Amino acid sequence: MTEQISKDLKDIVIARLETLPKHMKMSIGSYGDFNREQLIEHVKKEDSIGKKIIQVELEFLQAMKEGNLLV
Amino acid sequence: MTTYMITRPEHDDTTHYLSHWSQETIEVANKKGIKVLDLYREKATRQQVESLLKKHNPAIIVLNGHGDEKTVTGHQNIPLIQAGENEHLLKEKQVYAISCSSGKILGPKSINKGAISYTGYDEDFIFFYNPEMISRPLKDDMAKLFLDHVKIFIDSLLKGNAVGEAYARAKERLRENLVKSLSTQEQDPILARYLRWNLRHFVVHGNIDAKIE
Repeated sequence: MTEQISKDLKDIVIARLETLPKHMKMSIGSYGDFNREQLIEHVKKEDSIGKKIIQVELEFLQAMKEGNLLV
Repeated sequence: MTTYMITRPEHDDTTHYLSHWSQETIEVANKKGIKVLDLYREKATRQQVESLLKKHNPAIIVLNGHGDEKTVTGHQNIPLIQAGENEHLLKEKQVYAISCSSGKILGPKSINKGAISYTGYDEDFIFFYNPEMISRPLKDDMAKLFLDHVKIFIDSLLKGNAVGEAYARAKERLRENLVKSLSTQEQDPILARYLRWNLRHFVVHGNIDAKIE
């Protein structure tokens, strides 16, 4: 994901992550395990983990728009 | 006698969950009279894997661990199988890697070197879990949404189904879990985007008609 990330998209991703229960953790393969606050921080920083989360959200939104959610 | 080899490192939360979610497949193999080589925790080393592959020639190999496009790792993230180094050891085997991205390069390269099939993920494999359930990972309903297809795929192979059928069954379960997560009012809708991600990146290479004798 090399294109510039819009503020709107970042805000959407952060808003989604804020709905996660605090105690939940996400395992992202070789990157490790992260809680909600850590995930939000990575998205804010737009580092490789943050970009991955944004990419997942972007693909989901595009699939929803195209009516292709179930692959 | 058919042999089933599984690596189950457990040095962090991710490998702990993967190990437990594939543990029951050992019982399935035992019931089917399949010999099991369980490389558990510190036994999941490259030396052990290479040695047992040569000595026992397992028909089915399941690799739990971390990884990247070219590698699957074991205990303490030490590489077990690496493209360009030892993927030829997967020759004539059905392989399933529950590991990030190895379906992208290591999978196709293994097939080129004679592996029967290689099933895995061509991107990062993502799952959610509840740390309060760490001592009982099989009771973690959130993790179940992401991990129960793993057991379905392996069980199906061990029961003698073709790779393609096992893959279709596992994919269908992931899809069902995605639908389930989309239709709830609680926290599950956010899980849907990650379930969809895993579903989209769950891949199979090689001969999908192959099955164990």
